[in-house]
Amino acid sequence: MAEKSSLYLAPDAALPYCRGCGHALVVRHLSQALERLQLAPRSVVLTTDIGCVGLADSLFPFLHTVHTTHGRSTAFATGMALAEAVLEPAGLKPVVMIGDGGAMIGLLHLVHAAQLNVDVTVLVHNNFLFGMTGGQHSALTPEGFVTSTTPAGNWTPPLDLVQLLAAARAGFLARQYATDADLAEVIADAIAHPGFAMVEIVEICPAYGARLNRLTGGGLKELVARQGLTMGRQVADAPRPTFSELYRQQRAALEKKAAAAEVVPLAARATLDRELRVVVAGSAGERVQSAAGLLCRAALAAGLYATQKNDNPVTQGTGFSLAEICLSPQPIDYTGMERPDVVIVASADGWKELAANGTLERCRAETLVVLDDGLLELFPAAASARGRRLAAPLRRRATASGAALAGLAAWLALDPVLPAEAWDATLATLSEDRRAQAAEALRLGRELAAPKNAA
Amino acid sequence: MVAAGALAAGCRFFAGYPITPASEIYEVMMRELPPQGGLALSAPDEISSLCYCVGASLRGLKAMTATSGPGWALMIETLQYALMTETPLVVALVQRLGPSTGGATQGAQGDVWLAEFSTSGGYTVPVFAPSNAAECYALTLEAFRWAERLRTPVVVLSDKEVGMTSEVVEDEALPRPVEATRPRFAGDRPFLTYGFAGADEVPTFAPVGGDVKVTVTGSAHDQQGRLRKNSPEVLEVLRHLERKIAAHADEMALVRPDLDPGAPALLISYGVTARAARQAVAALRAEGVRLSFLQPLTLFPVPRRELDWALAGVDTVIVAEENLTGQYRAALAPCLGHRRVLGVNKIGGLISPAEIARAVRAAEK
Repeated sequence: MAEKSSLYLAPDAALPYCRGCGHALVVRHLSQALERLQLAPRSVVLTTDIGCVGLADSLFPFLHTVHTTHGRSTAFATGMALAEAVLEPAGLKPVVMIGDGGAMIGLLHLVHAAQLNVDVTVLVHNNFLFGMTGGQHSALTPEGFVTSTTPAGNWTPPLDLVQLLAAARAGFLARQYATDADLAEVIADAIAHPGFAMVEIVEICPAYGARLNRLTGGGLKELVARQGLTMGRQVADAPRPTFSELYRQQRAALEKKAAAAEVVPLAARATLDRELRVVVAGSAGERVQSAAGLLCRAALAAGLYATQKNDNPVTQGTGFSLAEICLSPQPIDYTGMERPDVVIVASADGWKELAANGTLERCRAETLVVLDDGLLELFPAAASARGRRLAAPLRRRATASGAALAGLAAWLALDPVLPAEAWDATLATLSEDRRAQAAEALRLGRELAAPKNAA
Repeated sequence: MVAAGALAAGCRFFAGYPITPASEIYEVMMRELPPQGGLALSAPDEISSLCYCVGASLRGLKAMTATSGPGWALMIETLQYALMTETPLVVALVQRLGPSTGGATQGAQGDVWLAEFSTSGGYTVPVFAPSNAAECYALTLEAFRWAERLRTPVVVLSDKEVGMTSEVVEDEALPRPVEATRPRFAGDRPFLTYGFAGADEVPTFAPVGGDVKVTVTGSAHDQQGRLRKNSPEVLEVLRHLERKIAAHADEMALVRPDLDPGAPALLISYGVTARAARQAVAALRAEGVRLSFLQPLTLFPVPRRELDWALAGVDTVIVAEENLTGQYRAALAPCLGHRRVLGVNKIGGLISPAEIARAVRAAEK
């Protein structure tokens, strides 16, 4: 049996880092932390970011390793941890190794991982700059710090990752020096913590940070103190359920009767022998699109094919509401509305939209336009619009929310392409309240279509 | 129906971010996936959505997300990572009018290039294009089948008109799902994360967290997953990423042909415009116009064999698509020889059967 230490960092591993780089200390301490926890190598996945931190994969020959794109290592690790919620629990421990540059470009991933409380441990190697690409400054560069892109010293205050992630409700947060004697212990505790943990490890990049700033170990501590960054363990006592635990609990609540596909039984056969194109227009919140949906269901119950397209302003809850419907005894291909056969207008918003989108212009002499009679006063053009016209007190009689359905019923009373049984079957699928309202709107619509009411 | 197809295909992980006109897929998956034993969750952006999918897929779950052009733009980095790491996943890309945020509630077929030609190196991303609800279901099943079999990202490319039109679907017209799982490592030889014997072979899969050590990387790597610079083996791995797709191109090719052998013209259309094209073809034939029609369901890899069949004896090719510059027409051009190639193009609204018929008649003269 191999020695335990060789299960993690290979003892003879040639570390690829510059002399004096804190990364070497971090991989050693990580290896000691894993030993301390006695974690099986296959229950750890090391997810590394772009940068010198990304060289760690090959140093741990028995761990799963995932080398990722810049800043995204936390997000990939989060995905792996999320899967734990629905897999046979394997107790997988994702450990993310990321630099200060990656932490900022992937900041959102850190924040969301903390919010979700996935069991991911992130080791942020903060050497205040981008080392691999030539020592450029990062969002964590201290004020006054010289980098290759801040030759006169950085004047942007550094981001305090610990405070930021505390605000995201992270359960374990620490900031340590790479040289800290207890770093392995802190990393072990972070990994053992059930949920999100972040350890920011402050180091000096010997190639750029130390050289450009004439910085030594003592100088580093002074520098950190000047930035007001607090060292040590900062959040370690905020136990809350992990994502996996919560998801398993919540799933019971999410369980519901499997929503079977909506299968509409055939109630009767429509006599429709051609394709019909119907436009229903009204105001948001007045059951325009749901009236159109009922029509489609009734058509389906009558053995017809149907399509429905809805439109409304991006705000959804205000302005016009529109539905375009095709009904046909044959499968429907093209759904454009160049030649509407029937247009129902239930409100002024609906009229304005039909004028704006060109529907009114596309009406032909045979097109039946059923409109609320109030529109004739509001829009004088309505009286001379093209098409056959049925103006009726849709809103006054059937109320605003019944007007669209009443308009449809009025049309169908004049042109009975759908058998009554199809409507009965459709109404039967509704809740009791809704069924009574819809039945009333349909009844009123039929009544309004009677010859004495027609304009 | 994309969501229904994904559920039938055994999708167990979905991460989404709201965007019109793809939000319905997201909502249905949030509602339906958990009761089926899967996990659906809201990501804080589209980059995270796809990263989460990759992470879950690395653990063996079939994974999907849904988005539109602006979200897809953010996903392209991670799409490439999935391609490079041979991680199966499906993206439902529901097109809307672009560029940029464009028109959220307007259909378009303007993301054909963006879907296909979005990788450094120009690798082939399989793209399926449904024209109606039933095809959304069927092609999502296909997308999962090929994503898993070939360990690669696959796109289901629909648009607002296809994705947000309710329509009647005949139950018996829907295909039965076929078992589709990635090839699993059987433990019969030393495991290589990216091991293959022939360049067109798909590496066997072992999950992160399983008993076999997995070495995943998006950087140029050898078969073991070790970073290597330009070694012959690394270049062979890179060639293999394309060859495994090319080797299965004929099997992936799905088309709906309606050919009139001997007709001088071939009309090609896909997605929502294929609906208008079918209607135009019927009208033109009723007038006595001789015309073949081909609807590719697989846009990429280009279904060459089927295209060649349809091209026999044809001197004029007309491609109808709802974009400005003829994106699929340009992609097909190298396959069309010296034939006359015309486009029917439009943005801002459906191309109508009349517009297509007019273009075909004009081409006859």
